[in-house]
This record gives sequence, C-alpha cells and structure tokens, in this order.
Amino acid sequence: MTDGDLDLFLSLVERHYRYLYNLALRMTGNEQDAKDVVQESLLNAYLGLERFDGRADLRTWLNRILVNCALDHLRGLRRRPDVSNPRPLSDVIDTAVSTAADPERLAAGADSRRQIEAVMAAMSPLERVTFALRHFEGCSIREIAQIVGIGDNATKQHIFRAVRKIRLALEPHWRAR
Amino acid sequence: MSHLTDDDLVLHYYGEDGSRLVAAERHLRTCVQCAGAYAALSRTLSAVTPPTFVDVPDELPALRQVIRDRVRERSTHRRGSESAHRGEVGALAAVWLAALVYPFSFDALFNSARLAQEHAAAMLLVVPSLLWACGGPLLAVLVLNRVAVERRDRAVTRLLVAGALMATISPSLYPLLSRVIGPLPIAGGPSWYGAVALGALLAFVPWPNRRERSVRFLYVHRVSAVIVTAYVLAHVVNQALAFVSVPAYTAMRNVMRLASEQPATYTLIVGAVAIQVATGAAMGLAKVQRGAFARNLTAVSGWYLAVFLLVHVLSGFLPRATTTTAAAVNQFNLLASSRATAQLPFLLLGVAAFLFHVGVYARFAALAYFAEASVRRVSYAGMLAGTTVVVTVGLALCGIHLTR
Repeated sequence: MTDGDLDLFLSLVERHYRYLYNLALRMTGNEQDAKDVVQESLLNAYLGLERFDGRADLRTWLNRILVNCALDHLRGLRRRPDVSNPRPLSDVIDTAVSTAADPERLAAGADSRRQIEAVMAAMSPLERVTFALRHFEGCSIREIAQIVGIGDNATKQHIFRAVRKIRLALEPHWRAR
Repeated sequence: MSHLTDDDLVLHYYGEDGSRLVAAERHLRTCVQCAGAYAALSRTLSAVTPPTFVDVPDELPALRQVIRDRVRERSTHRRGSESAHRGEVGALAAVWLAALVYPFSFDALFNSARLAQEHAAAMLLVVPSLLWACGGPLLAVLVLNRVAVERRDRAVTRLLVAGALMATISPSLYPLLSRVIGPLPIAGGPSWYGAVALGALLAFVPWPNRRERSVRFLYVHRVSAVIVTAYVLAHVVNQALAFVSVPAYTAMRNVMRLASEQPATYTLIVGAVAIQVATGAAMGLAKVQRGAFARNLTAVSGWYLAVFLLVHVLSGFLPRATTTTAAAVNQFNLLASSRATAQLPFLLLGVAAFLFHVGVYARFAALAYFAEASVRRVSYAGMLAGTTVVVTVGLALCGIHLTR
C-alpha cells in the first residue's frame, strides 16, 4: 500500500473519527486509553482493508475493530497492575455507603459520576464493553454478541453482571436520599 | 405470571425480553413488588449517563504519521522475517521429526525406567524420556500457538498443521497400527513411516473452507459429547481407583464391561464416538489459529481423543493385542517390556486429553454465567485436580498401588 492509499483511507475515516474516539472513551474511561485504542484500531483497519467486503457499512466495520481493540487494550491493562489499578468493587461499595449521608453533594452529581467511573473500572473488560455498547450505544444484545464474537447468552450474562455491580455501588446513594 | 427476576427486569428495561415484553409490562402494572424493583433499577440505570461527547482536536495529521511509522515498522519486521521463516521451517521439522521418531521414545522410557530401578539417579533419565513419549501433543500446541497457521491456501501451512496432527496422534496411532497390522518393530518399521507419509499427503489435498459448517457441527458435537464423557469419565475414575486398590478396580471394570457390552449401550457409545470423530475432524483442522491457546488446546486434545476413542470402541473388531502387552496392561505392569511401555503414553495422554478437552469447554461455558476471576480460580483448581488424576493413573499403570 502506498502513501496515497493511506491518505485516501484517512480521508474516509475522518468523518467517523469523533464518533470512534467517543466510543473508545466510553469503553475505556480515559482519554489516553481512548486515543491508543483508536490509533490501534485504525492501524488494524488500514492493514486489513482488503478484508472489508462492503457487507456492512464502513462505520459498522470500524466499530467492530474498535470494540475488539478496546477489549484487548482493557485486558492488557488488567495484566499490568502497575499501569491500571482499579479499586476492588467492595471498596467502591464501601465508599457509596460512607458518602451516602451527604445528599447535597450527591445531588450535585459529582460523587455519583465518580462512583460510576469507579464501578466501571472495577468491571471485567467484557462486562464493561458489553454494558457500554448496550447502555450507551443502544446496540441490541444480538448485535453486541456479533461484534464481540461471543454468544447471545454470554452477552446477556456479562450485561447482567455489570448491572448488578452498578446497582450494588449506586443504590446505597438512592436509599440515603 | 410469577415475579420478575432481576435479570428479567434488566431485559425489560432494555426492551430485550422479546415475546415476554407485553406479559412483563402487564405484570409490572399489577405487581407492586416488581414495580418497585423496576423503578429502583430504572432510577439507577438512568443515572448512568455516558461521559459527555467530547470534541477531539484534529489529530489526523499526527495519526497519519503514526500509522505510516507503524506500517514501516511492520514491513521492516516482515522483510527481516528471515527468522520468522526459519521459525516456520524449524516448527515444520520439529513436528514431523516428533512423529517419525516417536517409536524410539518408549524404548528410551523402558530402558531408563529399568535403569532407575537399579540406580535411583537414573530417575533423571525417566523424566525426559516420559516427556519425549508424551511430548507430541505439547509440541503441537506450542507450534500452532506461535506460527501463523491461518492461511490454509499455502501448502506449507497445511503441511505444518498436518505435522502437528501427526505429532499429536502418534502415541495413539502406534497402538492402533499394532492392533490392525500386528506388532510393529520397536523402530517403527515401514508401516509406521508409511502411516506418517500418508499423514503428509493430507497437506496436498484441498481443505474445506469452513466457518458456517463449524457452527452446525458444534451443536451435534456437544450433544454426542455427553454420552462419550460419561463413558470416558467412568473409565478414568476406574483407572484412578486402581491406584488405591486393584480388586476395587477389577470389580468396577467387570460391571462396566457388562454394561457396555449390551448391544444397545455398545451401539450408543460407538455412534456417539463416530459423531464426535466426524464432527471434530470437520471443525478441528479449521479451528487452529496462532495465539489462540485455548482453541489450539481444544483442537489438539480433540485430535488425540479421536484416535484414542477409536482404538477403544473398535477393540471388539480389531485383532487382539499380543498376549504380553495385554497381560502387562491388565496387571498394571507397563514397564515390563518396551512394547508394553508404548501403552503408557497412550493411556496417560488419553486421560489428559479428555480432561483438557472437557475442561476448556467447561471454562468457556462457565464464562457465560460467572465472573472471569471466579472462573479463572476454579480453572486453576481444576488443573490441579486433573494433574492429580493423571499422575494417579500413571502410578497405577506402572504397578504402584496403595493396597493390593
């Protein structure tokens, strides 16, 4: 492939870049990781351009590559506790219980946002990605299963577990209010 | 309608409850308890909003440079991939050599074990001999995991996968050939090398191309696996029982023999094994992939199990084993002669392949229901239990029993 091909490819993906970056941000939770994931997925897409057969549109195809790169990235981070050290879920729940006595701060939403970020970080990569695709992106379970390459039932179970974790971490807030 | 579970409520929240959508909605309007639970869930989930959509700075020029550098890096890597090519050639040589020299391994095992009976220090020779005899499948997994085997249109790739297949099945192919065409010479003889050459021919026929079929086969494969698993598990437990007590083993073996010799049971077992082998063969060669360790392990253990089970269920039709070999197996004295020693890797790898094959599938299935961390912990416990079973069976086969 020549430099001209690369320019052509980048001009094609340019209009999807913002969307891809935000999707990566929702799945990884921080800007640097999102940037790395987008970079890796665009490189993979460029190198695998021959495999793009036009059965899906470009965004769907890029989406699929991005989700799989995000999964790999999150798994890689988990294997490197020096880079990413998420708090265990029990700590997140304890924080929820101890800060629940301050409803004004909770109303401001700052604590619950932090709490959501903490609980997302405590999820396994598959829980996090399947939940983000279902909850934030509105993808159906069947679509998520196809994108991630697992069964429908497995997808459901990952989402159920993610929701269970979120409820455990957030519901003490609501009870206190 | 009974109360909705937490999972039902989640599906309803996302509108994923399919045909139960209307019934669930109707239930929520009449059941205060479920309506309360649903309201709590909705409140929590609606609070989980995505990070605000951010505008990203124009990073495409920087990205262009990054991609260009990475592509260059890769192509340099590819150009300098003489070492990769050497790796492929090395892997090819290793798997075919493992298959070719397999018959010498149990002679080495037999002689080192005899030496160890006289000098304890010779145990140091037993370990590498045992590794050599049982190493074919391990080598196959390593090779498939490290070398790119996805491009089945290349004859070299097919030759590599066929070599991995032959290295894997050698320990069960040898006893099978010995039963079919009579005792093979210790060095293998023309029959052995002929069989290996036939395996190589596999690389020169076109291989079917693949995925959709795999999904269909997988279902049939899993259903028939239930019968085969019950059959093999009973044998594995019985073999492990021999370590504790030979009379207990003999009693259980007689009961199992009586049950499995009934025409209906026998037909069921042979049918299930035939389905396993046919569907496994259709999926196994297509499944292997570089870096996919669990998938390669499933394929390799499946290849081995296929030949191993064929030897077992067809034993009624095959000529009887030589008297000395049969006696050695029945008396748990596989180190009695080098010919009998061939049964040791054959049986040990059969048990190990069965445990790996079922274990890897169980792990994948469990991931659908339990958290990854819990599954990983249970997998470690399973590996420990499996290793204990294999060692126990191995000790029993070598004539070591807690009670006689």
